This record gives sequence, C-alpha cells and structure tokens, in this order.
Amino acid sequence: MAPLISIEGIGRSFGDGPPVFEDLWLSVQQGEFVCIIGHSGCGKTTVLNILAGLDRPSAGAVLVAGQEITGPSLDRAVVFQGHALLPWRTALGNVAYAVRSRWPRASRNEVEARARRAIALVGLAGAELKKPAELSGGMKQRVGIARALSIEPKILLMDEPFSALDALTRGTLQDEARRICTSSGQTTVMITHDVDEAIYLADKIVLMTNGPNAQVAEIVVNPLPADRVRTDLHHDSRYTAVRNHLIDFLVDRSRTFRDAPPAGYDRTRPPVARPYHDVRGVVPNALP
Amino acid sequence: MSGGLVCAAIDDLGRHPAGCGCGRSPETLDEAVAAAVFRAAIPQAARRRDLLRAVGATAVLAAMAETFPLGAATALAQDAGKIEKPNLKIGFIPITCASPIIMAQPMGFYAKHGLNVDVVKTAGWAIVRDKAMNKEYDASHMLSPMPIAISLGIGSNQQDWQLPAIENINGQAIVMANKHKERRDPKTWKGMRFGIPFDFSMHNYLLRYYLAEAGIDPDTDVSLRVMPPPDMVANLRADNIDGFLGPDPVNQRAVYDGIGFIHLLSKEIWDGHPCCAFAVSKSFIAENPNTFMALSRAIIDATGYANKAENRKEIADAIAPANYLNQPPIVVQQALTGTYADGLGNVVKAPDRAGFDPFPWQSFAVWIMTQMQRWGQLKRDVDYQQVAEQIYLATDAAKFMREQGQTPPGTSTKTFVVMGKTFDPAKPAEYLASFPIKRAI
Amino acid sequence: MTARLRAPLLSLALLAVFLLAWQIAVSGTGPTGPAMDPEYAKLMGITATTGKSAMPGPIDVAQSMIEILRDPFYIRGQNDKGLGIQLLYSIGRVAVGYGLAVLVAIPTGFLIGMSPLMHRALDPFIQILKPVSPLAWMPLALYTIKDSNVSSVFVIFICALWPMLINTAFGVASVRQEWRNVAHTLEVGPVRCAFTIILPAAAPTILTGMRISIGIAWLVIVAAEMLVGGTGIGYFVWNEWNNLSITHVIVSIIVIGLVGMALDQILARCQRLVTFPE
Repeated sequence: MAPLISIEGIGRSFGDGPPVFEDLWLSVQQGEFVCIIGHSGCGKTTVLNILAGLDRPSAGAVLVAGQEITGPSLDRAVVFQGHALLPWRTALGNVAYAVRSRWPRASRNEVEARARRAIALVGLAGAELKKPAELSGGMKQRVGIARALSIEPKILLMDEPFSALDALTRGTLQDEARRICTSSGQTTVMITHDVDEAIYLADKIVLMTNGPNAQVAEIVVNPLPADRVRTDLHHDSRYTAVRNHLIDFLVDRSRTFRDAPPAGYDRTRPPVARPYHDVRGVVPNALP
Repeated sequence: MSGGLVCAAIDDLGRHPAGCGCGRSPETLDEAVAAAVFRAAIPQAARRRDLLRAVGATAVLAAMAETFPLGAATALAQDAGKIEKPNLKIGFIPITCASPIIMAQPMGFYAKHGLNVDVVKTAGWAIVRDKAMNKEYDASHMLSPMPIAISLGIGSNQQDWQLPAIENINGQAIVMANKHKERRDPKTWKGMRFGIPFDFSMHNYLLRYYLAEAGIDPDTDVSLRVMPPPDMVANLRADNIDGFLGPDPVNQRAVYDGIGFIHLLSKEIWDGHPCCAFAVSKSFIAENPNTFMALSRAIIDATGYANKAENRKEIADAIAPANYLNQPPIVVQQALTGTYADGLGNVVKAPDRAGFDPFPWQSFAVWIMTQMQRWGQLKRDVDYQQVAEQIYLATDAAKFMREQGQTPPGTSTKTFVVMGKTFDPAKPAEYLASFPIKRAI
Repeated sequence: MTARLRAPLLSLALLAVFLLAWQIAVSGTGPTGPAMDPEYAKLMGITATTGKSAMPGPIDVAQSMIEILRDPFYIRGQNDKGLGIQLLYSIGRVAVGYGLAVLVAIPTGFLIGMSPLMHRALDPFIQILKPVSPLAWMPLALYTIKDSNVSSVFVIFICALWPMLINTAFGVASVRQEWRNVAHTLEVGPVRCAFTIILPAAAPTILTGMRISIGIAWLVIVAAEMLVGGTGIGYFVWNEWNNLSITHVIVSIIVIGLVGMALDQILARCQRLVTFPE
C-alpha cells in the first residue's frame, strides 16, 4: 500500500554552513503514529516544519497522498510546542477559528457544535468560555490538540507538545492523545526527546543522528501491544528491550553513526529494527 | 413719472405721512429723485402745492430738468442701490486704533447703513493680513503701511489692496520701564531693546525716526523686536525690553499695572500722523461696489462720531468688554479721553492724545514709502505719486465724508512737519537723501 | 491606614503644600512708591496702588474658576463666548484631525509593518517629518490651505499621525511568529489573517500609539488656536492673555489639563479593552 506521507530526499541548509540534513527519506502509512527522536540540533523540528509546510526544503520533496506539498494545508494540522493559542479568544473561540477556517460556509451553530465536540473530546467540556490566561498549561495544550483535531486533518503533526508540562500533566495528556489517536486511527507524526513517551505513543520510532548532516539511522518498530497501559509499561520486558535500544542509540550511536554507518546502509530505505525479547522465546509475527 | 410729485407732503423716503390722502406715492426711483429735488428747491410744502396746482407736474419737471441734472442725480441715488453682500466679516486687532471699526457694531453704524457685520478679533498683524488675503475676511483693520506693503509685494505675496479710510491719527506712545525714569534723553539709549508691533507699522517708522533724530541707529545701536501688543507689557515687566512704541490701550495698561511710564505721546513726534487704517482688497471693491460704498460710509460715519470729544467715554465703555478689547474700562477711557495717569505721579490732560480723522492723505503714503526705502524694506524705485493715488483712496473718502456731513479737505496732498522737519510730498527723493542715518539703497 | 489609601492621601498632601506655598508667595505686598494723589490713584490699577502682587493666588483662581464655570455656555458676541463653547470648538477640531490621522496612520502602519521593503522605503520620510513642531507647520498650512480652520485641523492631523503610525508598524511587525504559523497552517487568507490575527495581536501597541497621539493632538490644538484665533480654548487663553488676566489664564490651564486627562482616560479605557494577558 502506498504510504500517506513520502519524504523523498529532502535536505535543508541555512546559509553557508553544512546542511542540517540532506537526502533524507522516510515514509508514513495511513493510521500510523510515528515518533521522531534525536538530540537537539538534529533537525527533527525542521523535518516537522517541512511536513507542515511552514518551511521549504532546500532539496527534495514531500508527497502526501501522492501529491507534492507546496505549503501549509488544512489537511496537515499542527499542535505547536507552546500551544500558540490566540490569547484574545476563549478556548471555544480558538477551536471555532480553526473550524471556521476549514468550513468557511458553515453556519454559526454548526461551527460552534463542532468546536464543542472537539473540546469535549480532549476532556475540557465546561471550560469552553475561559480565556487561555485562565487555563493551566495542560489545559492550554489540550485546547491546542482540540483545535488541531477539530478540522479533521489527514495528518496530525505534533512538535514536542508535552515537553513544557510537568510530569503528572504530561502523563495525563499522553493518555488522552493515545486514546484519541487510536480510536480514530489518526495518522500522526510527533517529535519528542522523551523516550518513554515515544514508546508509549508510537507505532514506529524514527531515530535521527546528531546534526549537522543528520540522517535517519533506524526505524524502530514498537514491540508493545496496542492495548498497552502507560502505568504498567515498566512491567513488560519488551519495554525494557526497546527502551535500552533507544537509550543506547541516543547515548552512543547518534554520534558515531555518521562516520561508521552499518554495511549496506541505504538512506532511501533506512534499516528497520525490532528489538524485543519475547518472554516465551517465540518470535511474534505480523509486524511489517 | 409725475405721480410722485403730486403730493407735496411726501417725506424724505417718499412715503406719505398719515392722513395725507392724496393717494399717490413715488413708483420709481426716478420719481423719488425728482420729488427729493423738488423738495430741496422749494422747502415749503404749501408753496410746492401751489406751484403744482398752478402749472402742473409736467411743467415743474421740465423746469427742474433744465436747471438741475436729474439724470445724474438719479444715477447718484442709484449708489444707494442693492448691497451685494450684506453679511460681512471684518478682522480687527483689539486696540483703540480700531475704535471706529469696532464701535460700529455695538453702536449700530453698520446696521444704519444696511450691513450686518461680524467683527472678528484676531491674534496678530501677520494673521489678520493672511486671513484678509485669503478672503476669510471681507475687509480688515490694518496698519496704514500694510496696504502699501501688500500691494508692492513686500513681506508677503502681492495682492492689490486699497485704503478707503484712515482709522485714527495720533494715539500711540513711547512707554519706558520704571527703572528708566531718570534716563529719558534718547541720546543715552544706546544698547536698549524696544518692542514694536509689526515691521510695516507707523510705530516702527516713528520710533526709528525718533531714535535717528537723537543720533541712534535703530538697527545697530539698539535692538528692535516685533511682538504682539499684550506681550509688550509682559516683556516690559520681565525686563526683556526697556521700552516700546505701542498702541493703546497697551500703553495705558503698562502704566495701570505699575510697570512703566509714558515717556512721549506719538503726537509729539508728528502731530496728526496716521496710525491704523480700514483696508479693502481691490477685488472686493470690484465685485461688491455697493457693499463697499455702504461699508465705507458706515466707517467714516463712525470715525466722525469718534472724533468728537464728548463721545469718547461712551465709546470707551462700548469697546472695553470681553467681546472687543477685553480691557478694564478705566484704561480705555484714559486712552480715548486724554485725561490719564502718566506713570510718574501726574494726571495729564491732553484731549488730543488720540484723534479720529478718516481722510487718507496721499502724502501719508508717500512719507511711508520714503521711510520704507530709508530702512531697506523697499529696495526698488517706485512712482510714489502713482502708488499713493492707487492705494489711498482720497477722492472716494472725500465723497463719503461729505455725505455724512463732514468736511473733507480740498486737496489730497499736504505738507506736514515731523519733529521739526518739513515734509514736502512733491520732493520725496530729497527728503530721503536728507537723513544722515539710513540704510544704503 | 490601608495601603490603597496611601497614594491618594500623599497626592492630597503634596497639593496642600503646593497651594500653601503659592498663597504665601503672592501674599506679600510690593513697593508702591510715594503716596499717590487720590485722583491719580483712581486711574491706576491695584498693583500700582496697593502693591498687590500681579500674580494671583490660589484663592483668586478658585473664585475665578467658580465664576467661569457657573455659566460656561454664554454667548455675548462673536469674540466673547463661554468656556464651555470654546472647549466644544476645540474638541470638535481635535475629533476631526485625530480621526483623519487614525484613518491614515493605521492602514499605513499596517502596510509598513507587513512589508520590510515599504518600511525601509518610507522610514527616512517618517524620521524627518516626525520631529517637526506644529508651530512650524502652521504658517505653511495657512499659506497653502488659506483657511484657518482647515489649517488647524491639518496641523493636528500631521502631528498626531506619527506615534500611531510608528506604533502600528511596530505592533504589526512584532506579531508573534507562532500565531502567524497558526494562520498559515489553517490556510487563512491574507485579509482574514490581517483582521483576525494581526490586528488583535497588534492592538495593544496600536492603542498605546493612539493614546500618545491624543495627548499630542490636544497639545497642538491649544497652540494652533492661540496662533490663529477665532474660537477654541487656545483662543480663550490668548484673549485672556490680551487682557493680562493671569487668573483666567491659570483657570484655562487647569481646564485644559483636565480635558487632556479625560481624553487620555478614554483612550486608556479603550486600551484596556484590547489588552490580553499573555
């Protein structure tokens, strides 16, 4: 099946220095939740901005549903790191703004109904008429997510959406995000540097080496089952396996990969890893 | 045509007195004129009736026409024709020089001649000139040199202006600060600072003349500063100037406030000098001839009234309030009646301190132009007589004065004496050359 | 004493000290010179006869203020109208001049804020014209426009323009990039973006500029009317100055200050309406 997103050899450089990355290839299937992990400066936010259409690659192209993208689109909704809510509008107003952008000819009632639904979806029913200044950090980010989801995008792009929140709120919002995305089958690309978050949320985890000249080192398939519960993850040995794999990468290979790529490394088809240890010693099947 | 003659009891305006019963009234201007002439020729109504009954109206008319130019009289009467613009705006500066222009409103002179005039108080001479040239004002109070300066294009754009009447003669004074009570000889005034209201003013020319006669060069030995009249008092108090030659009531006000004393009345420099004027643009006269005539009549009428000593106090009280001069009435009275405190402890009685004579002597204009050349304001040669005749409308003024029952002089030029030196308007170049202190031409 | 009352009480205390000092300063009598002949004295003013200071004290000013404000709307002639009427003339002129300035400054500021090219192109003109005093514009205006009322309004316009223009440009240029990104990702067109994102985001800065401008406009109208005369509070001050009535001049100054404060407060209220906590 053709991927929904096909990143084909994009590169991005600023000025005269070495490029942040070049000749980067990646694909995302419909319904997948993909996390991109890497150290700061590896260009993961740049990749997301290019996907969102807020930035243009210096080389290469991105195809969504077979069409090259040329700029931002309502098909690709963004949840920003710093919620980016319009402070002069209420929560409802912020979400309604997005709804109105998507369906400009809709009636006021329809717009409001959609907005309310999105707000209820993120668990904020009752707080619609509050202004962002009256909301906590976690609530603001929920509104951001509601806004992104309210336009029913093909692709959801999230740029470290929970990094600015405290640990407890982060956990709650991760649960919400997982609940919403799995129930609707939302195709999502998320940037994070939190390994546990990636393991909990993602179906696939993309590992990027350090910049400049960053590369996609590996795509890790998440071994954990779909019904995983965040608070129980640590009991599962597969969790340990994948976690160790990711940490090893971040500590060591993210640095050394560029100078010593593995044999047969092909940028256009980064290697897929499946690190896990099945407790029964059986190799589980069916992960592509 | 003869209908109007029939009733000899017709009054001045051609109306029948009550109970006349003849049933006729003048139907046309011609009739009214003829009736007026008839009445003037034979004042007694009874005799007029007899004559009419004896020879009939037609014969009377024919006889009159032989001896009296009825046609011309009718044309003249047409002067009292329709006023093109009865609602006028006239600018004024709140000084007593403009008394005739100002008092004509509250005292009804404008209304008497069929006009509805708004006199608008203005902030300064440059502003009043600009507004008058912009046609925001239909006519204006100006300093007597200003119509000349504007018509010659000096100090402003060129526009043709004319001076149908002088507002006042004399009425100015040199005021010195109290600290100069012992230093009244002008020869000792080197290094002093003086205020004047405007560059193109009699104040400027008189002060310069006075200083020059004492051997002081007004441009190099002293400093002359242009300032609005109320600022003169404030500056005197603040010791920014040592004295000023200004208009009333500012002079008297300086005494009243205890800041200065009156050193010299301007009439001591030149008795009968013109000061301010009533000025109209040439285009206004061309577009509104009847209005111009009514206006001139009103102002000359008022000027004549103002000249009479017995009316001065009444006038002072009429123009003192906030709407006009905005000064304490006692100050204005002193300036107009000539009974005043001089700031040195004396009550002086000089009834001719200020005068109001409307006649615009063309010699005044020539004298002004010699002084303009003397001080470098007018740098080119002009035909003095021609300019004076075009701007100072002596002939028109004489006509209007006669209509108001005043007696205008027979000529339009005269010689006069300024600080002991005679000025002959026929010899302006010699006059100009005779001054040791002047600017190079 | 609660903390909230402290500041107002301190203000009142300062005011009382100031008024007392003022009253004392004008209470002394100056020199009167040798005794005056009574007939002479009748012709002289108070300062010369009794040596009372020409400068009025707070009590004189208070009395004068009551007298003026008792009947502020009288008309006793073309040149003598009540303070209330003069204020209305002035406020009217400010309204027109300021209104025109708003109509020009905000769209132009928008343009400059959105386009760095326009900003660089127009900046030299702005920098040169901005510091020109209204008193310098006035003669030029009278000369070209030839109507004193229109000239006054023009001078208000040209002086009130700059703070609003500059602040609008600044506010528009500094709209947070992340809000602009929100607009981009929602495919919001440039017009809708201008009205729904940029304008509300820049509004506090724009209102600050407007508030500065109204202060300038009020300042300018008083100066312009003193120069041009006719009607208005500036003309009223000049008329009283002509009469050397310092008392009335002081009353006028107080009234001018109060009206200026009121105008500023109106704009401050508007500013609060559009300010948002970040």
